Amino acid sequence: MKRVVTTQLPRPRTLIHPGRFNPVRIQSLHSSKGRHVRLALLPGVSLFDGLVKPLADIGITSASTTILGGYFEGVQYCVAPPDQQGRAVIAYSKPIPAGRTYMIFGNATLGKSINGSPLVHCHAAIRTETGEVKGGHILTETCIVSRDPIPVLVTSLDEFELRQAYDPETNIPLLQPYKETING
Amino acid sequence: MGEMIAVENGSMGRVAYARIAPNEDLVQGVEKLCLAEGFRNAFVRGALGSLVDACMGTIDGKYLQIQGPAVEIVSLAGEVRLGEDGSLRAALTGVVADPEGNVYGGPFVAGLNPICMTFEVTLEEWLPAK
Repeated sequence: MKRVVTTQLPRPRTLIHPGRFNPVRIQSLHSSKGRHVRLALLPGVSLFDGLVKPLADIGITSASTTILGGYFEGVQYCVAPPDQQGRAVIAYSKPIPAGRTYMIFGNATLGKSINGSPLVHCHAAIRTETGEVKGGHILTETCIVSRDPIPVLVTSLDEFELRQAYDPETNIPLLQPYKETING
Repeated sequence: MGEMIAVENGSMGRVAYARIAPNEDLVQGVEKLCLAEGFRNAFVRGALGSLVDACMGTIDGKYLQIQGPAVEIVSLAGEVRLGEDGSLRAALTGVVADPEGNVYGGPFVAGLNPICMTFEVTLEEWLPAK
């Protein structure tokens, strides 16, 4: 069963993760006011660089962004099947090349990686070079903007920051919100 | 049932970001985020993550089930509204991708979309004019 339409209410499944259950289920922080930026991803740059550099220039290092559709010269994405090694519930697949691709809609979160460098976590729906519509985790360094700029709506996350940290429950590093410490 | 209003004036307020943990429900998790942050009405500004399995409603009242794990959330929009009965209700719509990257779309059914690894969501508070 991959996809089924049913009249019966399905029973949600509770999966067992490798690490200890964390009693805190929602980690949240807020900014007192939303700050928005309209960004254009410029032709020839990667999705990663097109987001990270212009936003860093205006002091934004944590943000939630919406990619409003556009063409890329090359896109690679991953899907998330069960982890055959058993280290986590799922593991990303090897990169799947999609070729020249239209990104229909994407969301990308900007934060900091474990080593403090910029990190972009992006999921998107895409139309691949073969015309198939697919979706998954986008490898943003591999996506090169085609000849037209791509608009992005940025919601800056001020007064706190997103940092990647090891999550013992799932046994993978994840973006989490922290009270802002040191800028840069 | 109250009178339907086509236009509601208001302004945007605070912005909240959350990481919601595995096995929590997507829709009710967003409602609980509003409880945690004191939001009464809000719009989703960005979201991504994964589900164990996905369940979406159909026009004839049935359920579209997509089997994971994981089913990736690749697009999500929606809002949270304060109801006349004083409860919070999130209405979320989106596109998901199964473990082979095939995509499906529709409204997420509350209580039937358990998070797989993580769910990242940004909400912007909506403050209706009095």
